[in-house]
Amino acid sequence: MCLAQRRPAVHKRQSRHIIPFILGGVVLYFVSGMVDELRVYQGASVAVYVIAISSIILLTGYSGQVSLGHGALMAVGAYAAAVARIELHAPIIVCFIIAVLTAAIGGALLGAAAARLSGPYLAGATLALAIGLPSLANQFKILGGEQGLLFDVGFPPLSLGQDFTQYKWFFWIAALAALISMWVIHNILSSRYGRTWRAIRGNEVAAQLSGINIARSKILAFTISAGIAGLAGALLSMTIGTVSPSAFPLTLSFSLLTGAVLSGITTLGGVMIGAVVLVAIPEFADAVASRMGSSEKVTTNLPGFLVSALLIVTVLFVPNGPVEQHRARKAKKAALKK
Amino acid sequence: MKAMNRRKLITVSAVLAAVSLAVTAVPAQAAEVGVSGSEIKLGMTLPMTGTASLGYNKIPGAAKAYFDYLNANGGVNGRKITLVVKDDRYVPTEAVAKTNELILKDKVMALLAPLGTANVKAVAASVNPARRGVPVLFVNTGFSGFADAKKYPTTYAVLPSYIMEAKIMGQYIKENFAGKKVGLLYQDDDFGSDALAGFKTAGVNFAVTVPYASGSQGAAAAAGWITKFKAAEADVVILFGVSSATSAMLGTAAQLKYAPQWMLGSVGGDATTIKLTGVPAGVLYNAIGFSPVPATTDMKDEYVKLFSDIYAKAVPGSAFDLNVLLGMNSAFMAAQALKAAGPNPTRKSLLAAIDSKGSTFANSALVPLGYSKTSHVGLTGYWVGKYSPTGDLAPLGGTYVTYTTDSGAGAVVKSTYVRPAMPAKGLPN
Repeated sequence: MCLAQRRPAVHKRQSRHIIPFILGGVVLYFVSGMVDELRVYQGASVAVYVIAISSIILLTGYSGQVSLGHGALMAVGAYAAAVARIELHAPIIVCFIIAVLTAAIGGALLGAAAARLSGPYLAGATLALAIGLPSLANQFKILGGEQGLLFDVGFPPLSLGQDFTQYKWFFWIAALAALISMWVIHNILSSRYGRTWRAIRGNEVAAQLSGINIARSKILAFTISAGIAGLAGALLSMTIGTVSPSAFPLTLSFSLLTGAVLSGITTLGGVMIGAVVLVAIPEFADAVASRMGSSEKVTTNLPGFLVSALLIVTVLFVPNGPVEQHRARKAKKAALKK
Repeated sequence: MKAMNRRKLITVSAVLAAVSLAVTAVPAQAAEVGVSGSEIKLGMTLPMTGTASLGYNKIPGAAKAYFDYLNANGGVNGRKITLVVKDDRYVPTEAVAKTNELILKDKVMALLAPLGTANVKAVAASVNPARRGVPVLFVNTGFSGFADAKKYPTTYAVLPSYIMEAKIMGQYIKENFAGKKVGLLYQDDDFGSDALAGFKTAGVNFAVTVPYASGSQGAAAAAGWITKFKAAEADVVILFGVSSATSAMLGTAAQLKYAPQWMLGSVGGDATTIKLTGVPAGVLYNAIGFSPVPATTDMKDEYVKLFSDIYAKAVPGSAFDLNVLLGMNSAFMAAQALKAAGPNPTRKSLLAAIDSKGSTFANSALVPLGYSKTSHVGLTGYWVGKYSPTGDLAPLGGTYVTYTTDSGAGAVVKSTYVRPAMPAKGLPN
């Protein structure tokens, strides 16, 4: 009786959550019609980073497990999608589903090992994965070696008009995928699983004492996070048209982690910040360098410097990210008013 | 409170929607993109930072040095050439992002000498310069596929293909090392498979072949390779890999006192780059090498003399090496292509000019160019040389003997090509 009463309430809450995402979609739809092709392409990149960073926030911020190897899990998804497209001629939506499932299986295996590790050991293990896994593609002919595979999602449907560019099509696909995955993650995090992960992150022993199966929860977090990373990988490959080991370097994993820290590792709400920073910083640095008439050395090293500086500033002054900081300040003000 | 927030959100969305509908289409540009009355803009992406940038990061400086020289001498039909360079860190995702910036934001007329097979492939698939009609001039990769004018209609190769090089190496082995045991070190990807195809066509039978995965090369791996070559008692060892693989192998061989007859592929055979990694020059002595352009130390060659003078003035203190020579050579060829494209060059007229006149473009190479309407093959051969005691590649017997071939089953023939004299002052005529 009690359960029957609670269930409709949950459904009501979830259906309410969907409204902002639909509105977000409407806004993006119109924005994509207003900006030029370069911004549309960058928008697609932001959407991909949003998904990838949120997979890290779910894993690290909520379940407390560190991963330096999410670039490798993205590679798994990307290769799965490309192979499904080339070998099975699967429709694009099926390719993305295969990417999610394959990366999730990879994540489950990794998670099973990760559940026994923690802290620097886990970081080391995932780091090894980031270094080793993409180059495995060189060992199998079907994966196309160093040159990689083509991943062609095809032209946009003609019904969208002659002027509808390929990048707008990428943007629509990536933005829709981002909205759906954010909605899913948001709901998972506010469900029993999200609470379980937070409990584990807070205090493993206390969580265990309250009846939580730590290992199972950790593996589940890794599996879901990997699945989302796989989707991000497939979308990344869509935007560059190919899948190759060099598209998933170690620096990608580090960039994602940086993006997650800038976003606020414990809040999903700030994920846009990290994604926009990762896409905008190189362009911003270019603009600064060219205005100052700097040398090539400065131009090429400025983006890395700016991201590192931003990371240090964030860790020093807003360690939980700007969104969490803002919320905390608001809560403090409200408490003071009372 | 919540209701108000939602109302706000709906209002904002409605305003955005209204604005989007109000925005009209951007008016079309009248002149060609990247060409103004006084300037022609070209763009380049390549690794400027990161491990893969070693040696290659000198290419933009070299190309800019030539363009500055050209601009100081009147430019192309009065227009100066500006080169916008972006660092892609040898990552395809970055190459695509930077190329998009070059085409859509910086509005370059054409791309010049982008580097790396995977990167050029990714750009072709995503940015699709062919669909946009953007010329991709003289790509810095020997992958034979880019010469396919049907698949990549706006892309032009310049380096001879890996297949051509392997075929010419095979011919040299047959003529000079008949009956000797030959070993091959190659990269286990398209780079290596192109090489294997070339050696197969040339009929070379290897005593041992050692593949390595890109990124796995290092001193420890090299010790393992040497064990395999020693076990097979190889007399001649061909190193058909990137600079880092060649350097790792030669450095380790020097330590282990392993000294077969080395034969170096041109990709990893630049002496300056190898020596920079700490390999003693003496190890290179008597190794056999291949190059399409003159030896970089050959100051009797008019191109080498002029280019090294220009480079020394533009980038003082930087050594004039193969990367610099090739970078300046591509810039010189681009200038000629722009000149041939007429007084008001467009992307279309530039492509047409290379298709019709490209094979006659003056350049420093000692082998002919193969551009035509149906093929975008660049240089078509090599000369054979030996490394000197100081580790520099010089032609056998002091004179360049060049060989030419194709990427198919065609024979390797001694080239009769005589390079035309350099246009006055090294400027396009």
